[in-house]
This record gives sequence, C-alpha cells and structure tokens, in this order.
Amino acid sequence: MLFDANCYLGAWPFGLMPELSPSGLLRHLQRSGIARAAVSPLDAVFAPEPMPANRRLFSAVRREHRLVPLPVVNPRLANWREQLAECAAGARVSAVRLMPAYHGYRLRAVSDRFLTELAEAGLKPVLTVRLEDERQRYFALNVKGVPVADIAAFLARCPRMTALCTGLAVGEALQLAEAADNFLADLAYMENIELAALLRPRLPPRRLLFGTLTPMLSAQAQTAKLAHRGFSATERRVVGFGNARRFFE
Amino acid sequence: MRVIDAHTHPVMFKRGLRRAEIDRLVRRGRSLGIERMVGLGDVLLHGRHFTAAQIREVNDDSARVQRAYPGYFRFFCFVNPLLGEKAVMGEVERCVDQHGFIGIKLEICNNARDACMKPVMAAARRWSLVVLQHTWSQTILRQRSFHTDPADTATLARRHPDVPIIMAHLTGCGVRGVLEVKDLPNVHVDTSGGPPEDGLIEYAVEQLGAGRILHGSDLPGRDPGVSIQRVLGARLSRAEQQLILHDNAARLLKLA
Repeated sequence: MLFDANCYLGAWPFGLMPELSPSGLLRHLQRSGIARAAVSPLDAVFAPEPMPANRRLFSAVRREHRLVPLPVVNPRLANWREQLAECAAGARVSAVRLMPAYHGYRLRAVSDRFLTELAEAGLKPVLTVRLEDERQRYFALNVKGVPVADIAAFLARCPRMTALCTGLAVGEALQLAEAADNFLADLAYMENIELAALLRPRLPPRRLLFGTLTPMLSAQAQTAKLAHRGFSATERRVVGFGNARRFFE
Repeated sequence: MRVIDAHTHPVMFKRGLRRAEIDRLVRRGRSLGIERMVGLGDVLLHGRHFTAAQIREVNDDSARVQRAYPGYFRFFCFVNPLLGEKAVMGEVERCVDQHGFIGIKLEICNNARDACMKPVMAAARRWSLVVLQHTWSQTILRQRSFHTDPADTATLARRHPDVPIIMAHLTGCGVRGVLEVKDLPNVHVDTSGGPPEDGLIEYAVEQLGAGRILHGSDLPGRDPGVSIQRVLGARLSRAEQQLILHDNAARLLKLA
C-alpha cells in the first residue's frame, strides 16, 4: 500500500495525459498499488491567485478521503493571510504548497511574518522544486528549478519547521542534505540504479517519501523505485506510506 | 514478460571497470527479467572530444565487460566521426572483428547532419551494423553545433535509408521527435531519457507503431525497473508491450 506525496488533480497543458476526475485519479493510482495521495490543483500553477483553484480542489475531494487536499498558496500576494486562513480551515488540510518558480518569486522574498503565521496555523510547507525536466519543458515557458541555495536559506529561517521538498533531483537532494536537516524529500525526480544506497548516508529512509508527480510522470514507473532491493521491507513501508501519513495526516 | 535493455552504460565516468558494481548491475537486471543488455560504453569519459586512443580505450573496456558476462552484454562500437574516415573505419573493423560488436554508437562529438557522418554510415553498411545516435531536443538546450536534435537524426536517416538507426531518448526527443521520424521506416526509437513522462510511449506507438520502439533504460543513471514499469503501465496491449520490451530489439539486433 502506497501514499503518493506528490500528486496533482487537473490537466497539465504540456503533457499528453487527459484530465482525470477525482475518482478517475484514484482508479489510476490504485492500478499501481497507490491507496492514498496528497493532491494539489494544477489550475493553481498558472492562476493569478490560487484560491479559486483550491476551492475547487476542496470541493472535489470532500467526499473522497483517500485524496488529501494539498492547497497552493502564494505568499507574495497581498491576500496571503486570507489564503492561509482559508486553507487552514479546509477539511483535512495539514500542509500548503509553495510554487516559487511558477509564481515568480524567490524563497528569500517570503516574509518572516508569513512563516510565523504558517506555523501558528499549524500548517507545514511543501516546496515545489520543479514540475518538469527543464531540458524538455515547453519552449515558451522559461521556468527553472528552485536553486538548492535558496531552499537551504529558506530552511535556515524556519529551523523548527520540517518542509517537504518535491521534485529534487538526486544531486540536489544530497547537496541540500549537507546544508539542512529540517526537510523531507519525495522520490519523483530521483532515479538511479543504486538510488537507496546513494541517498542513505545523507538522506535515510525516514526522510524520504514516495511521490509520482501524476499526471506528468508515470505512476506505475515510480513504484519501481521502492521495489528495489536497496530498501528493506520496513523501509519500503516507511518511505511508501508511513512518512507521508505522518506528514499529511 | 521477456525484456531486453537496449540502452545501457555499464562502465561510466572514469570509475573504470569495477567488477563488483557490474555484478550488482547484472543481478539487478536479471532480477527484473532482463535477459540481455546492449552496452554503449563510457561515451562521456572525455567529454565530447575523444582522440583515437581514447576511443580505443572506451571500446576495449566495453569488450572486457562483454567477455566477463558472455551472452548477457552485447556492445556497440563507440566512434568519433570527427577523427575522419580512416580512424572510423579502422576502429569499427577492429571492434567487429576482434570483439564482435553489433552496432555503432554516436554521442555528442558532432551533429548527425555533419558531413563527417558519411564514413560512419558507410561502415554501418559494410558490416551490417545498427547505428544508435544520441538525440535530444535542442529547442531548450541550444547546443546544436555538436548535439543532435531529432530533426538532425531524421536528416541522417533520410540520407541513408538503407542503414537502420536507433534514435536514442524518446523522452528527450518528445512529441516533435516522434513526428520528425514518423515517415522514416529505418528509424527506431528507444524509450530512455529523463524521468518517466506519462503518455509519451502511447503517443509514439500511435504515430510509429509498436514495432519501431525499443525499451532502453540508460542505466546506471536511470533505473531499468522504472523504465520497464513505464512500458507495463502504458495503455497498450500486452502484445505491444512485448514488442517494445523484447521482440523489437531481438529482431533488429539479432539477439534472439
């Protein structure tokens, strides 16, 4: 049984996958043995203000408890307090997703006040490092991954918080782990034939979460990363389910 | 389901030939049901500028791996077309005669549309070899002076319609890459390159037919478990998946 920590509801305009309804998404994930998922609205990626997309997300997953809402916030908009308040009031919301690369700000521009009120609201930050491989992104969309140095500086400002970083590549994750220990990372963009052994010295299984980046990447392909013998059966359970449940529920 | 991995690099990045690492890699491959691997050599060992001696060193390393795992690895001969006709012909002849290599591997020494490719294709024709051309969309990378775009691989295939070509890296070539080679029956595409983008294999099958797609992982930087599950998770028939995972490579490279 797997918990997908990096999943989206909606259509990715540059991909080939059709848009799925909440039940369609669940069926799609279940075919790969994924029982639960934290889902963010793809509509919020390019929207000028994320809350309309978040509201549609809340409504879409209200009766589907296997999909945990992970709303998107933009801390650079003047209404960030309202965004936080509405997200915190949302059912089953324990974290919010930040998308600095897509929303046009650097992490250093996130105010201390925002971080303080995020913590006071009992919400955890999820940092979106990338949604697609920059080498083959849509030609007119000049979005690059969030630099490791920016994430490290952000994490240093909130040492009591544990952030989930989604979309880190292996090298980036290892580099970040040298600078900070208050983060978890998902496996969606990490791949190597010796993945578990490569990560283990600096990022042990207790800090890793299974993530598919559905609908951009293949959910079934992602499950192979946990089937690797480099992870013990216990570690597979922790990375595949336990860590995400602790973080999101 | 039977599996061949048609795109592997069991010797990489100056690490030299470490038997224990390759043992692990072969065990991992066998545990996933991979019956054979096509090895392409340590083709970035010296960046993109390889001397004749360095090319020979890479191919000799490949031959050692092939000898160490008889029947499991079959290698392609790596060449640098910029070294000229004599060097290319000599190295291909050596690799075929001495090592039994089954194809020619081209990386980023030059662009596939360059005139220096003529002797490479002549060598492929003479020794009945398959040419595997590293290919990646240059829309974003903009390195086309030495890095081959799908349009360039299509140009190469159009100039040499009698030579079978594998356009490497479906994921790096994307939709545009598939369309560039659609009308070129001498071009196959391997599924490697980048993270496992969903829907692209189905699109390639729709445009090219399942008979022109080969499973490839690009290990060790990539995991063949992921590349196999990407094919098995694709919305294709079992017969189409079997063609991609095994039968096409077995037929094209005579690996049966």
